[in-house]
Amino acid sequence: MRDLPAGDPGAPSVSGPWRFLGWLAGTDASVLAAVAGWSLGGMTAQALMPAVLGRAIDEGITGRDAGALGVWAAVLCGLGLLLAFTRTREHKASVLVWLSAAYRTVQLVSRQAGRLGDTLARRISSGEVIAVGTGDVAKLGTVVEVCGRAVGAALSIVVVTVVLLGIDVRLGLVLLLGVPAVLALSGPLLGPIHRRQGERRELTGTMTATASDIVAGLRVLRGIGGEALFERRFRAESQRVRAAGARAGRAESWLNAAAVLFPGLLLTLVTWLGARYAAAGEITVGQLVACYGYAAFLVTPLWVLGEAAGQLAKGHVAAARVVRILRMTPEHPGDGVREPSGGELRDDVSGLRVRPGSLTAVVAGRDAGALAERLTGYTDDSGVTYGGVPLAEVKGLRRRVLYAANEDVLFTGPLGAELLPEGSDDVRARAVLAACAEDVVAEAGGLQGGRVAEAGREFSGGQRQRLRLARALAADPEVLVLVEPTSAVDAHTEAAIAARLGAHRAGRTTVVFTESPLVLAAADHVVHVQRGKVVAEGRHAELMAGAPGYRAEVTREIK
Amino acid sequence: MKLPIATAAQAKAYARRLVLRYPRALAGVVALQVLATVSGLAVPWLFAQLVQDPGRRIDVLAASIAAFTVLQALLTRAAFAASAALGERVLADLREEFVGQALRLPLATVERAGTGDLLTRASRDVDLLEEAVRDAVPHVLISGVTVLFTAVAIALTSPLLLLPTLAVTPLLLLSTRWYLRRALNAYLTEDERWAELLDAFSETVTGARTVAAFGRDGQRRDLTDARIRASWTAEKYSLGLRTRWYPALELSYVLPVVGTLLLGGLLYLNGHVSLAQVTAATLYVQQLGYPLNIMLTQLDDLQLGGASLARLLGVAEVPPDRSPTGADPSGVDLAARDVRYAYAERDVLHGVDLDLVPGERLAVVGPSGAGKSTLGRLLAGIDGPRTGAVTLGSVPLTDLPLDGLRHRIALVTQEHHVFHATLRDNLALVREAPDDELRAALDAVGWTGPGLDTVVGSGGSALTPAEAQRLALARLVLADPHTLVLDEATSLIDPRTARSLERSLGAVLHGRTVVAIAHRLHTAHDADRVAVVENGKITELGTHDELVGRGGSYAALWETWNR
Repeated sequence: MRDLPAGDPGAPSVSGPWRFLGWLAGTDASVLAAVAGWSLGGMTAQALMPAVLGRAIDEGITGRDAGALGVWAAVLCGLGLLLAFTRTREHKASVLVWLSAAYRTVQLVSRQAGRLGDTLARRISSGEVIAVGTGDVAKLGTVVEVCGRAVGAALSIVVVTVVLLGIDVRLGLVLLLGVPAVLALSGPLLGPIHRRQGERRELTGTMTATASDIVAGLRVLRGIGGEALFERRFRAESQRVRAAGARAGRAESWLNAAAVLFPGLLLTLVTWLGARYAAAGEITVGQLVACYGYAAFLVTPLWVLGEAAGQLAKGHVAAARVVRILRMTPEHPGDGVREPSGGELRDDVSGLRVRPGSLTAVVAGRDAGALAERLTGYTDDSGVTYGGVPLAEVKGLRRRVLYAANEDVLFTGPLGAELLPEGSDDVRARAVLAACAEDVVAEAGGLQGGRVAEAGREFSGGQRQRLRLARALAADPEVLVLVEPTSAVDAHTEAAIAARLGAHRAGRTTVVFTESPLVLAAADHVVHVQRGKVVAEGRHAELMAGAPGYRAEVTREIK
Repeated sequence: MKLPIATAAQAKAYARRLVLRYPRALAGVVALQVLATVSGLAVPWLFAQLVQDPGRRIDVLAASIAAFTVLQALLTRAAFAASAALGERVLADLREEFVGQALRLPLATVERAGTGDLLTRASRDVDLLEEAVRDAVPHVLISGVTVLFTAVAIALTSPLLLLPTLAVTPLLLLSTRWYLRRALNAYLTEDERWAELLDAFSETVTGARTVAAFGRDGQRRDLTDARIRASWTAEKYSLGLRTRWYPALELSYVLPVVGTLLLGGLLYLNGHVSLAQVTAATLYVQQLGYPLNIMLTQLDDLQLGGASLARLLGVAEVPPDRSPTGADPSGVDLAARDVRYAYAERDVLHGVDLDLVPGERLAVVGPSGAGKSTLGRLLAGIDGPRTGAVTLGSVPLTDLPLDGLRHRIALVTQEHHVFHATLRDNLALVREAPDDELRAALDAVGWTGPGLDTVVGSGGSALTPAEAQRLALARLVLADPHTLVLDEATSLIDPRTARSLERSLGAVLHGRTVVAIAHRLHTAHDADRVAVVENGKITELGTHDELVGRGGSYAALWETWNR
């Protein structure tokens, strides 16, 4: 059996949900063909059973020949063995196709999230993207798999019709025309079902997002209250889902009724005609039983076709969401083609110029975050150049210029790899030392063998912040931009970090947005930005002495 | 340490209670389905009469077959719609009870298990259970009724002809038992691997910015693929179980048909049964296969749904971390006595004593990891101490109901989760309040963010971390408890603003007892008293001036800051 997952999920067609489904099915064409083949085999074995039963009745029972009865019973038994074998193979192939489609979608969306970066959160709620994993991948797996079985079912209908034509042309024609009629009659019922299921799907998505949101905010709620409010809100959403689910159930119930009624009426027609022909001696009693068996058997493949239609509707909704995510493009990809020369980071709008190889501290008050985003190419504003090249055109911008924000998350997994995926423990240890995070690393179990559990939620805010700083330092980019990197650590530790940061980044360019006098005093160069413009720059001590505005801003904190 | 999982017996008992909560609806569904099945069983019997004697009453019998088909269709529709409505009702009850219980879980338990565990239960397990209730339960119910009544129909046709079916039954039962015994564990493993896959996926999605900024896409890709491989290994195992069970299952459907045909034929040849009896019995036995197959293959899903149910119910198994005794605190004086607290069997607080003076502002300082936040959580009554007690008016905090506690003591941390809701709903967590009161609370924290009707949080208008912290403080102003614990509650706001914010808050919260855990020394400087926490103990306690004068570790800290 083939192994999963595929190393490379491939390049999907994302021009529309159907195209995507088609692509997904196409990537597993051979296994899908196996599903169809085994399904056809099984259905055929099943389809031949009524004929064998008919012969057994004709030759064995009404013909009063115990030997013939035994022979046909043995043939029936053989068909049973064949059925058991093909069904098992079909199931195996079906599962493979299902998982392959589901895994492939997870791979695609996961890789796309990494590509989109900050753009993802701006365009779509994370709950909705996570819903792809919790719901949509399963539906996509099912739709691809059921399509394989539907092909087998459709072909088996053809086989039965051919056999029937051999028994009696008139009865064969009735079934030949009757089966498409049955399908056509059930068709109009699918529209309302799709609409109702779509409605239920949407409401369920919102409800799941609410549940996740509540769980994620449990700490906030526990501290101050509000559980009752959110419980009420969830109940209201849950009741909306219930009502939508009942409506969808009613719509589906008509399809269930149709699945009994239309094939049943066809069966009645065949039985009625067959009984007349049998009475007239045109067909045997055994053939009448066989015809009855065929008309009854046809329910099964028809049911599969109905299921396929239903799943296609669900799959279409799921595929639409996946396509929506896969079609997004990063707003600020940072993948230009021009090589910067020299390393000056320069913002003509604010007048900020960052000298290469130095530790620059910027005091910018509440504009710090926005300015840091501008400086690192996360906004549409132009006017910022790195080595003379506008940021959007810089080759490998994200690799060269790293903006480590306090919103960054830690990932669950081995600690060493989280700090730096590749590289020596020596590099990691030096970064940990510079970020004063030795105690955090020790608590987590050391660089070798230590783990970040639960996205670092077990650590305190200050511990997380120091780990994030260590990670940023270990990445060792040409330019590192930090915003309030010590906001959650105590004064003692902050002083130590300030002292070690410059030494660790020696020869590299570092920009720290901070208000902390400890960090400012350790910087090579300090820039004061007010209302988006540079108003003073120099060393901390010089500015304290010569720039009253700066002193007011920095010292108001400590009186 | 994962959250507990309910036992199979508990899950079964709960499922029974849940279903029996609506006895009339359930009886209705079963009755409709029985009638639908009986209508369906009339068809082979009528057909057998045609076979027995093809020349007679063809039109009448055919018309009867048509009539019963129409009847069966209508009853099937009614049964399905009714079972869907019942299922949705049960599902709604179940998920609402689950969320209600999740909201009351002890926070320490959730954190130790990881939020992901609870998140998986809230999403995947609820989904799986919905699938089971929506598909498996009606199918098992409907098929079960069909199988039972079909067997009755065979027995009524000719008791002897039921023998082949009964003879094969042991094969069916034994193979199914063999399979189901192994299947549950296989599915639970499958489930766990899938949850791990989903965890990695969710982290990649929520941390997309970080992944892109740090160029971790390769790492995330490898992790995702590794998790997929692990999931695939588990899936392969359970697939192996099914590939052994399915052949036995298929044979159990066909062998009775062969047996009934043979036995019926021989009995007919010896004149013991009529042609109509052989035909009807053979057709009935043949018809058994379909509902039987649906019923047995849905047992998988039902088991899976049962496992999800056990995981949802497990949440209710967490022992409560508080046991309200009905005691009413007589005063507002908060005190800690010889308090110890352990994370993972390692004490982080080693016997802390602290008496808060009502109305005072106490700053708690100390190095990272010294136990400040833990102390804050204990003082706010979020967790109970391992030994010792935190009392309010001599009543232990864990003896108070959560709501009663938070009217008195509230905790705001640097955690800045913003709910996906309007700003109004985010603010009025604790109580409904008119808009001008909400605006006043926002004004008290110098709010400059979006208006009350703006939808914020994930997918809405994003708040900056600083805005999120202001929002948290505004909630506090609105809640107005007599004691507040602020754990780095202004750490994400720029320091200068933070200080003025703390001062304006001080005015609004005048007369309230405030415990402010802070690393910025101006907070300590502005406080009435300062407690220094080092290595899980309070090492210094007094006013700012006293501590500076004492020349201890606080004085050294102050010196560093003012250098």
